[in-house]
Amino acid sequence: MSGNSETDEIRSVEEINEKIKRGDAVVLTAEEMIKLVESSGVEVAAKEVDVVTSGTFGAMCSSGVFLNFGHADPPIKMTKCWLNDVPLYKGLAAVDGYLGATALSETRGFEYGGGHVIEDLVSGKEVELRAESYGTDCYPRRHIETVITIDDLNQAILVNPRNCYQTYDAATNSTDRVIYTYMGTLLPNFGNVTFSGAGQLNPLCKDWNYETLGIGTRIFLGGGTGYIIGEGTQHSPQAGFGTLMVRGDLKQMQSRYLRGASFHRYGVTLYVGVGIPIPIINRRVASTAALKDEDITVTIKDYGVPRRPDLRPVVGKVTYADLRSGKVTIGDKDVPSSSLSSYKMAREISEVLKKWILEGRFFLTKPVEPLPRQRTFKPLKVKRREPKVRDVMRKEVITAQPSDDVKKVARKLVEKGIDHLPVVDENQRLVGIVTSWDLARALANEKAKLSEIMTRKVVTALENESIDVVARRMARHNISGVPVVDEARCVKGIITTDDISKKLVGGRSTI
Amino acid sequence: MKVRLTYSPGVVEKPVLAEVVLKTRLPINILEAKVNAQKGELVVSIPVTGKKLEDVLRMFEKAGVKVQKFTRILHIDYDTCTSCGACISPCPTKALRFGLDWTLEFDEEKCVACRTCVAACPVKAITVL
Repeated sequence: MSGNSETDEIRSVEEINEKIKRGDAVVLTAEEMIKLVESSGVEVAAKEVDVVTSGTFGAMCSSGVFLNFGHADPPIKMTKCWLNDVPLYKGLAAVDGYLGATALSETRGFEYGGGHVIEDLVSGKEVELRAESYGTDCYPRRHIETVITIDDLNQAILVNPRNCYQTYDAATNSTDRVIYTYMGTLLPNFGNVTFSGAGQLNPLCKDWNYETLGIGTRIFLGGGTGYIIGEGTQHSPQAGFGTLMVRGDLKQMQSRYLRGASFHRYGVTLYVGVGIPIPIINRRVASTAALKDEDITVTIKDYGVPRRPDLRPVVGKVTYADLRSGKVTIGDKDVPSSSLSSYKMAREISEVLKKWILEGRFFLTKPVEPLPRQRTFKPLKVKRREPKVRDVMRKEVITAQPSDDVKKVARKLVEKGIDHLPVVDENQRLVGIVTSWDLARALANEKAKLSEIMTRKVVTALENESIDVVARRMARHNISGVPVVDEARCVKGIITTDDISKKLVGGRSTI
Repeated sequence: MKVRLTYSPGVVEKPVLAEVVLKTRLPINILEAKVNAQKGELVVSIPVTGKKLEDVLRMFEKAGVKVQKFTRILHIDYDTCTSCGACISPCPTKALRFGLDWTLEFDEEKCVACRTCVAACPVKAITVL
């Protein structure tokens, strides 16, 4: 080999394009590149291969399309606008709008949304357009209802602020109930693990050091051609969470590679197909283009803890190869794992892009600017003080003991005008709860002791928990109050739905 | 053979399944059970075929239990399915998996028609018949 350093240029993008023109470029998919490097080594692969094609096909929520409808007569300055009852962003000029993938239909909820409208438009289906306005001298119309197809639009430009995550945390659930998340259905007690990402086919994994990708890179986007227009939002390359912002002409795209989707009890999104050619400009790019699922590590996080993403507890560290095997280990337990993104479609995209290049229909571009290699992803600081359980709970708690007499306790409840009575042992530790309803039933059935009727599995709250989290917990269990306990399960207070609604008016604390 | 047994209010209190098990001495396996005071729905696996199976089914029918054979439980619309895999790990009986080319495959034998996959599918490609 000529160069000594692994970053010495072997070939330029211009040279590759010349070879594509002549029809003698060597193009491999990422899977083929992995095999070649395994059999012949990275030196040989770097020398022989001009381009490696990558691909990914997954749910990418930060996606959407800019639309221009053209003017009706008389014209309207649309201030609110819907396509198939899905609202668009209308803070733009009169007949421009942005339709986001996660916008929900106002009539069909989780079943249909922005992602589905995009798929319907690309499929050539008719879509209902409805818009409202206040009317102006130049735009007198105040209402419009019509039907459009993608052909009626002047522009339909897909502009996705964040696509193509390099890697993504896998998800599991430690709680005792099924939860429905943007990572899909998560079964109780670490019952399964879901993950997203094409791993060894993912475009950003194939150019791990951002040596070839940048602003202006031509890509496969949704079955048409598109471009990288910059770093994606939340781009965090040093942590392996690089992202891309991309754009492409929706009119050239195919519904096979842009699919509206619904995540049960979570929301709607768009599955986007992206494929990026990696020019093998040096030996280091050749070796990252040959990265395998075994080399790419992600953490498994507990989505049962409803905290900020970086505060969700890590329960394991695995590779994409482990995840794709269908089984991973958490602690000493084997847990079934499966993907949310389609590896089959990612493969297909890498094949299609390879074909385009070999047929001389797709040429590579040299970026006008590289993507940043350093970026931190900061959390949102909440500067206004938000009430915690501690601020809303009642601290004077009336409790009872398991041996207490039902009649005596019933009298206590009536006297104090309360509905929830925590039952504690001699150390003030919570052992059960009774409600006024339990007591009424106990009296009717002539039960004598509290221990016979109390609920032993008590739903509780902690003093420093957020009110929203506890309110959602009460709603889920269909209960109106929970004891507040410390780590030793000693009762510190009690919080009820009444306390929450009385003390928090309109979501803002009056304390 | 997998069978869905539907008990109407008049039958739900009777130990029909127990009687069939005692009479036939067959280890009938309960795969799924939803029973309340009004009605009951069981999915059971009966480990015989042919005439023997028909005899067992007739015993249920005679006792007033509606019998429905699972011949085709689940339908995957492969024009819609992207083989993403979102249905695979939530499946409690491991009836869904990837084939060699990463296409979603379905194992009829293992399915208990619990509909978990129907909800888990992002593109609504799965229906339970």
